[in-house]
Parts: sequence; C-alpha cells; structure tokens
Amino acid sequence: MSRQQAELLAATLPPLLVAAERVASIVAQGVHGRRRVGIGETFWQYRRYQPGDETTRVDWRQSARSAHVFVRENEWEAAESVWLWCDSSPSMAYGSDMAATDKAGRASLLTLALAVLLIRGGEHIGLLGEDGRPASGAAALGQMVARLDRLGDTGQSLPPAEALPRHAQVVLISDFLSPLDHIEGLIKHYVGSGVKGHVLQVNDPAEETLPFSGRTQFEGMEGEGETLIGRPESLRHDYAARFKAHRAELSQMVLTAGWSFSVHHTDKPAQAALLALYTAMSAQLRR
Amino acid sequence: MSGLTFGAPWGLAALVLLPVIWWLLRVLPPAPKLVRFPPVRLLFGLSGKEETPAKTPPWLIALRLALAALLIVGLAEPLLNPETGLDGDGPLILVVDDGWAAARRWERRQTAVTNILERAAREDRPVVLLTTAPTAADVAIDAGRLMRADEVLTLTQALEPKPWAVDRAAAATALDGLRVEGDVDVVWLSDGIHSPSVTAFAERLAALGNFQVMLDDPLDRAHVLLPPEPGPGALNIKVLRPAARAEETVWLRVSDEDGAVLARMAATFSDGEQTTVVELDVPAELRNRMARMNIEGERGANAVVLFDERWRRRPVGLVSVAGIDADQPLLSEIFYLERALERISEVRTGEVGDLLARPLAVLVLADVKTVVGADRVLVENWISGGGVLLRFAGPRIAEGADDLVPVRLRFGGRSFGGALSWEEPARLAPFADHTPFAGLTIPDDVHIRRQMLAEPSLDLAAKTWVRLVDGTPLVTAERRGDGWLVLVHTTASTAWSDLAISGLFVEMLYRLVQLSQGVTGDLEDGALAPLQTLDGFGRLGAPTEDSRPVAAREFGDVSPGPRHPPGYYGAQGARQVLNLTAGFTAIEAIDKLPATATHRIFGEAGEADLKPWFLIAALMLAFGDLIAGMILRGLVPSRAIRTAAGVALMAMVATPALAQETTTSDDGFALAATLESRFGFIMTGDSEIDGNSRDGLFGLGIVLAARTSIEPAEPMAIDVEHDELIFFPLIYWPIAASQAALSPAAAVKVNHYLKTGGIILFDTRDCNIGATSLSGGLSPAARRLRTLLRGLDIPPLIQVPEDHVLTKAFYLLRDFPGRWIGGQVWVERHEGGVNDGVSSLIIGSHDWVAAWALDEGRRPMFAVVPGGERQREGAFRFGINLAMYAMTGNYKADQVHMPAILDRLSQ
Repeated sequence: MSRQQAELLAATLPPLLVAAERVASIVAQGVHGRRRVGIGETFWQYRRYQPGDETTRVDWRQSARSAHVFVRENEWEAAESVWLWCDSSPSMAYGSDMAATDKAGRASLLTLALAVLLIRGGEHIGLLGEDGRPASGAAALGQMVARLDRLGDTGQSLPPAEALPRHAQVVLISDFLSPLDHIEGLIKHYVGSGVKGHVLQVNDPAEETLPFSGRTQFEGMEGEGETLIGRPESLRHDYAARFKAHRAELSQMVLTAGWSFSVHHTDKPAQAALLALYTAMSAQLRR
Repeated sequence: MSGLTFGAPWGLAALVLLPVIWWLLRVLPPAPKLVRFPPVRLLFGLSGKEETPAKTPPWLIALRLALAALLIVGLAEPLLNPETGLDGDGPLILVVDDGWAAARRWERRQTAVTNILERAAREDRPVVLLTTAPTAADVAIDAGRLMRADEVLTLTQALEPKPWAVDRAAAATALDGLRVEGDVDVVWLSDGIHSPSVTAFAERLAALGNFQVMLDDPLDRAHVLLPPEPGPGALNIKVLRPAARAEETVWLRVSDEDGAVLARMAATFSDGEQTTVVELDVPAELRNRMARMNIEGERGANAVVLFDERWRRRPVGLVSVAGIDADQPLLSEIFYLERALERISEVRTGEVGDLLARPLAVLVLADVKTVVGADRVLVENWISGGGVLLRFAGPRIAEGADDLVPVRLRFGGRSFGGALSWEEPARLAPFADHTPFAGLTIPDDVHIRRQMLAEPSLDLAAKTWVRLVDGTPLVTAERRGDGWLVLVHTTASTAWSDLAISGLFVEMLYRLVQLSQGVTGDLEDGALAPLQTLDGFGRLGAPTEDSRPVAAREFGDVSPGPRHPPGYYGAQGARQVLNLTAGFTAIEAIDKLPATATHRIFGEAGEADLKPWFLIAALMLAFGDLIAGMILRGLVPSRAIRTAAGVALMAMVATPALAQETTTSDDGFALAATLESRFGFIMTGDSEIDGNSRDGLFGLGIVLAARTSIEPAEPMAIDVEHDELIFFPLIYWPIAASQAALSPAAAVKVNHYLKTGGIILFDTRDCNIGATSLSGGLSPAARRLRTLLRGLDIPPLIQVPEDHVLTKAFYLLRDFPGRWIGGQVWVERHEGGVNDGVSSLIIGSHDWVAAWALDEGRRPMFAVVPGGERQREGAFRFGINLAMYAMTGNYKADQVHMPAILDRLSQ
C-alpha cells in the first residue's frame, strides 16, 4: 500500500488528537494542547491563587493589575503512544469480485492513514510485534511503511501478547476470523495491563453473504482444511447467521473490555472506516 | 451432379453413440469450482445438508454432442460434389484438345484426364486416346488403338499443349478407322475455341456413344495477343478474346532479352467487345531492346509475341553544314528531317566522325558538299559494312559535290515553274515494284519545284528508285558492299519541293531506314533454320526435333505447325520471328454442340474433401469446451471475462459509431452560413492546420467584435469540393503540402466565388523556412499553391503597393505581420477593374491564423516570431483591415480625397 494513497486518505480528516486521561510516566511531552491545564509552554488561563499553590507559580505582573493574586496556568501539551496492529496473514489477501480491493490492501491503507493522522497530531506510534520504542515524525511513518511492506501477507492474524506500558492505546485492524478464544485471550491480556483499545474488523462482502452457487470446493487460505458443498446457495442463510453470531460475540467481548468496535467492508470507501476510528479515538476525550 | 457422399459411410454408424454420450454427460457432473475462502471454518459442518449432484449445463451438453457428431461425420470422409461416373461400361474414347488454347488451364485438364482414367482403370475399361493437335507433320493424327487405362494414364502424363492450332478435321478423319463395340463413353476435353470443322467433329463424336464435353468456364478462356504492325510511330497492339462478355482488363508486359520489364500496360475490353487495341509508345532506346511481349498470368504461345529487327528503331545520324538555324528553323533541312525521323528512329545530330563512333544505321547528309579525309574513309567502310548513306541535294551540292553519290550529277540544277520556265512544278511518278518504296501512295500535293539532274548513263535506269512524271530521276541509289548509297535529288527542306512537308516523306524515310543492315540480311536466298522455338506454354527453348528450316523467301507465308513451331529463325545476328498469332484476325468460342452432349465445366464441380474441415470444426469446439470448462470451474477470473466481454461490446458499439459520419445537409450549411455573418476557412484535411484556422478566425472575431462594428459568429469549415462558398465575405485558405488538387467542378466554383466579389486569403504559412518569393526556389506549400492556382482564373499579381486600401482600411499599416514576418503579400494588379478594384486574392506566407489564434480563455495559443506581443497586435490590425476590406471593399480608397474635401469645407 503506497504511502501517497494513505496521505491522500488522511488528508480528509484533521490531525487526530488522542485523548489521554492521565499523565503517565511514559507519556512524553507533545506539541499539541489538550485543552486543559497541564504541563506545557502555551498560556492557558489565569486562576485565583489557592492555598497550596507554590508561590513560584504566581504571576506577579497579572496580580499587580488587580486586587487578587493570580496563578498562571499553561495548557497541557502531551503526546500519547499508540500501538497499531495490521493483520497481514494470508487470509487477508482475499478479495472477491464484489470489492475492488482485497482486505490486506484496505487494512494496510487504513493503518497507514491512521498513522499519518496520529503523527500529524504529534502522537507517538509503533507497530505491535515489532521491537523498538514508539516514534514520532515523518521518519516514523516511513519506518511503518517499510515494515508493512516487509510483512506482506506472511504475518500473523493476531498480535503477540506484549507487555505494553500502562495507559498506552492499541488499534487492532484485522478480519478477526481466528477462533474466538484466541481473540479473547489477547484482549484480556491487554485489558489486564491497563491498555485502551480500538478494534476494526475488515471483511470482504463475500465473506458475509456467501454469494456462490453450483458445486464448489471451498479451501481455507491458512491451512484450515477444505470442504465440498453441492449447493452453496442453499446454505446462504445458515452461513450468514453463523457469521453474524461470530461477529456479535466478538463485539460483545470487545465492548465488555471497554474498547471500541467497528466494522468495515472492503466494498465501502475507506473514509468511512477511518472516520469511525477517528471518532472512537477522539471520543475518549469527551467521556 | 453436386451432392454430399461419404468415402467411409459405415463410420456414420458411430452416430448411434450420441445418445450414450448424452446420457454419460448427464450423469457425470463437471468438476466442482474451486474457491479459496478465508472464513472456511464457519462452513465446516454446514455442508451435509443438501448435496444434490450438480448437473452439466444443457448448452455444454449440446456443445459436446456437436463435437462428437462432427468428429464422427468427419471421420466418415464426406465428399462434396464427387466426380460423377461414366454411364456406360464399354470402351472409353478420350478426346483431348492440346492446341495452344488448352495451355491456359492445362492443370485442370490433366486433373480431369487423370480422374477419368483412374475411374476407367477401376472399372477396367479399355480406352482410346485421341489428341486433336497435329503432332509431327509427317504423322497424321492417329486415333491410336484400344489400350488399358493405366497405360493411357502414363501417356497422358507426358502430354503437353502444343504451340499451334488443333486440327479437328484431321481428328475426325482419324476416328473413321476406329471400331469400338459396346456401351461407349466419349469424353471430349475441349479448349472451347471455335475452329472451322468443330461442328462436324462434335457430331462425329456424339455418334459414337454417350457424349460428354468438358469446357472451360466461358469467362475463363484463352486470350490472343497479336503482333503489332511494325511501322513508324507507336505500335498498336491488338488483343482478342473469344467471348464478348463484361468489361475485362488484362495486363501486357514487354520485356527485353534478359526478361527485364520495359513496359507494362493495361488492355481493357469494353463490355461486348471482343478486341481491344493498346498503343505502345516507348523511347527508341527501349524499343530497340524489346524482345518479347506477353499477357500477364496467361500461359501459352497465344499470349506471347516475339520481336525481331522489324520492330526496332534504328539510329539515324544527321549531318548538316548549316546546322539548325535557331532564328529560322523552318529553313533548315535538319528541322524537317528531325521531325520526320523522330517517330521512326533514334535521331542524332553532329559531325560525321562523332556519329560513326557509335553504331549507326543510316547517315543523312543534308546538302553537304563533300566528305573528305578521315571522315571519307570512315564513311566508305561503314557503307560497305551495311550502312545506308542518304544524301539530299541542295544549293551547296548544286555547285559541285564529291563522288560519293550513286550517279554522276549535272551540276547547276533544274527548276520548274520559275519565271524563266514554262513547265509546271513536277509531280512524282508511281513507285516501281522493285524499289523499296513500292506500294506507297503518292499524295496529290507533292510538287518538286527544283531538282538536280543526273548525267545520263547506261545504269541510270537501274539505279533510279523514284522518278518524276516526266521520267527524270528523283531518288537514285547504288549498292556498295552490304550497304546503300542513296541520293535524293531535291532538298530535305521546303526550299526546292513540298516533299518535306508531306506524309510521304516520313514513309519514304521509314522504308530507307528499314534498308539498313538487319532487315536486308540475306533475304533473297538460303533457308532460315529454327534458332529457338516456343513450347505450348509460351516458353522459349531449343528447337524441337521435328522443326525444319524455312526457305527465306517463303518465310512470310509460313503458318506455325509441328514443322515450324513459332519462334526465332535464321542466324543469331539477323534472326526473324515466326509468331503463332500473326495470322489471327478473330477468335470465337464454340457455340453449337450436339444436343445430346452433356456439358461440364472444368474445376467447377471438383471433388472437395470435407474431412479436414469437419475435423478443424471439431477441434475448435473442443477448444471452446476447454475454455467453457475452465470458466465453469472458476479457473478464469470472472473479471477477465467481463473485461473481454466489455472490450468486445465496445468494439461492436464503436464500429458503427465511427462509421456514422456527420453529414451536414446543404440547407443546414446554408442557414448556418447566412443567418450570421461568418468567415470561412478551407479544410485541408490536416486536423492540426484546420484546428489552427478555426482558432485563428475565432480569435480574430473576438478582436473584431471588441474594436469594430463587425461581430462575426464562429468561423465555419468549408469543404471546397462539396460546400457552397458564396455565403462567405472572406475565406481563409491555408496551404498544406499534402492538400489534394481541386476537382474541375470545385475550380469552377472557386472562380465563380472570386468573380462575384469574394475574397480568399491564401496562406502558405512557411515564411519561416525561407520561401520569400512566389517564383524563386519554392517551398512545398508554395508549389502546392501553384498547382492549386493553375486551375483558377488568376489575374496578374503584385506586391501590396504602399497606398493600397489594405494599408488603411481601419488602421494605417506599413507591413502585414502574422506569426512570421518578412515575407511578401500579393494582391491583384488591376485596381479599378472587376469587382470595383477590390482584389479578390490576397496571398502571403505569414501564417496569420496562428498569430490570431485564441483559446477559450482568450489567451494566445502560439508565440509570434520574432516580434513578441507588438507583432501580434500588428497581426490583429492586419486582420481587422482585412475584414474591413472584405466588408467595405475600396470604400476607404476615397479617403485620399479627404484632405481636399476638408480643405474645401474650411474655406
């Protein structure tokens, strides 16, 4: 997935400011204000002196203009680290006639677009499963493009259970067709270490509707096995119900953990999915 | 006679297998589609529910059944139009025309003969073979005897067409001795050309038994190429055909000894004509190399004409002391001789020594007094080697000549009809038979006013070729060695006689040129042995062993036959030609045949083996089946199918769309041109130039609307061949080097347009490449312009004078820049003439439209060179002046009186 396409897609949204509830030790100072008082360099407001405030924080110039003593407060400027995961397993290489692109292409496009937005917002980003500290700036984007390219379609469906710093955020983009217990184990691990998360399920429309007819031999793409079906058209209903159940269970699992969950179909424009992620990530501020 | 039969009919029994195949196809389902599907886990366990066996689609069954049927039918060896058999079971009489007319389609005859004989061999029938062309002159045509068919087959395979005519009378006679019994079949492979006894012959054949005639398609019979009559001027070549049918063109090819093609021309028979005549006029050098002429694509001696010396033009040298007098050519002998000889021979002029340095047939000395020194020796040697020296008398010789003359002359001359003579100018006496001029007719208007007289001598009468009516010799000749010395006792100019301006002069000169070495040879006695002869296919080769020499005297009367096949006879240096077709006048197709005869056409009902076609069709179906199978199994990405289908559909849709050309109706064009005033431009066919013209006139229109009261609508493209011009006040005509010339109708239209007040601005657009004058070294466009203008009625042109209305119609201009600058602009010279003195032509090379061209954003499209925007402004000013000139004519010319009028008003 080319970087230009991702930049183009990301240009449709303003820079993403990831909300962070707490200042954590690993949170580095960022460049953007968070519209609240905190550590930073930009003036935010004057506040009446209260007992307990350090005298060094009194703004004498302002205080001299009136009868009260004021404390100068700056806007909190901080960056948060966001860890991204883009499923690059062979099954992502699937693209039916109903969609213009395969899942892998769409997933990496979304990942990169998100990365572009985050970097523009001054956040630090990293790829799950890769060594190294989260980084910021254009160089980090370049690294990410290179890593995604290198993985191709030989990677894993789900990220390894890594030890992430507390209060970090993860974004998982995958088709989530793995067995549900694997997914559950993973989410539990991250929730246990205090990590916030966002899950985007990317699916081909054919995967939901089973639009095949005639004698068909279905074969898994990751060695799951194969099955011969005489009249797939007769199974459409049952299959759709099964798929729906799978997704319902998955979303239940994710929402229970306090994470956000959204679904994207590859026949829809990528902007919709990016907007969903964007609102989910910025919504944390309002919560 | 036509129909479908099978070589192996029992193979068709396999067709009963088709229902079995159908049943098998129904039962055996096609292989399942293969789909790689990521959520396959979710499908596990769902599959057991409804596993009905998939059916093969009906169209696929039909395809495969068709495949199998084609295969079975193909293997049963279907034959279309099988050769029908011979009805009888007795002896078979096979008559083959093998004269010249059979050579054209000889293979068909061979095939037919082989087919018939193979059949006869299968049925074990005895065969009599009769060929109708005489073989050797000593042996009469022999009807042969009853032979076994395979023996005859070996005989016929060696059979070849003969380069002479068939003799059907002799063939009929040969049949007299034949005794056959039983149910006889007679098959005649006729050449389809009429000969005197053909009806009797056919009846004779029909009387023998079941009679079949095989003929060529009437549209496909031999043509005959006749040798042209040798003579001065162009050669008239006649081609004959046997049937007066639709228009037809054959190509004639003239080649030299080595086969190099010298000329190629079309001979077109018009509808209903059986003869056509083509004129062949080639330069003398080429004419002397002509050795052979034939009809392209036609084999046989009938389509070949060989040439010998008689058709050559011999080089003639002219010597005159006076030379050609440029001031008074009509007084020069050389002038008359050249005019007379140029169609007969190759004419050279010069000094004696130079002329004889190259081979020369005839040397003409026109009023040359003496030949002396080295020239004299040269000339004498040359004459004895076969040259013809032709001398003309004249004022100089009259004073005394050398002895290189056939008779002794009485110097001084004699004149008739002068002031001191009471005799009328003399006329020529008829030519005697022994002279070279025998047979020429003497026109009434040849008068000899003055001549030189010969001294009487004993041999004078023998040496005299031409006399006047009173018996005085006019042309005398003497044999010297192999050559001739000829003296004409009068001038080659009109000074002494009218001979030089009569047609007789040309014919006499031609006869004299024919005298020279080559034709004369040893005509009188001896025999001409065959040198090379033609075979039946018109190929030149060593003479056949039956060919015999011809007595030289009888050569003209010999008709080609087995003894004297057509070809070259005589010695290598002086060979003579016997052409097969020399005696032909017309050929006719055979029209009447006995009613009992069955007609068949060669090659028409030929056996066609359909087996390969059936097998190829089966193979194609198998291929289609393979692809269909792959599609059904999902091995071909459906996107690819859609793309292919889309491309095919686009192609189908696009083709008619392209074919539909927008044709403007005349009314539509006229309305569009007249409802608003518009400028027009001529379409050149070059889309770039036409686009520039449109943009340029559009740009000029914008500027005009902004600055003047002329508000032209968008310019219109004019097709000069079809559209009416008269609606346009001004037409811009860019010249493209590739432009087609004007048709006469278009030229008339343009002339009319110019005469009735239209203005055309011709622009060669090539000022930048140095074509500054219309007359100097021309650019391609200027040359094109010249050819275009050639058909138009163009008055004299001048460069735009300083006070021309164009320089002051709106702006005061000194020059007329366009995209380029520096060229000349030309207008008509006659002010005050037609059209009120308005020049209807303006010709230049500045590429004005490029300077005027504006795009939709009103931005200039081309840079002007070299002057920049100032020059562009100049170009627009010229355009405005031009439009004013076109709209108002010479109105502004009156402005010259303005100072005077103002002066008067102020007083």
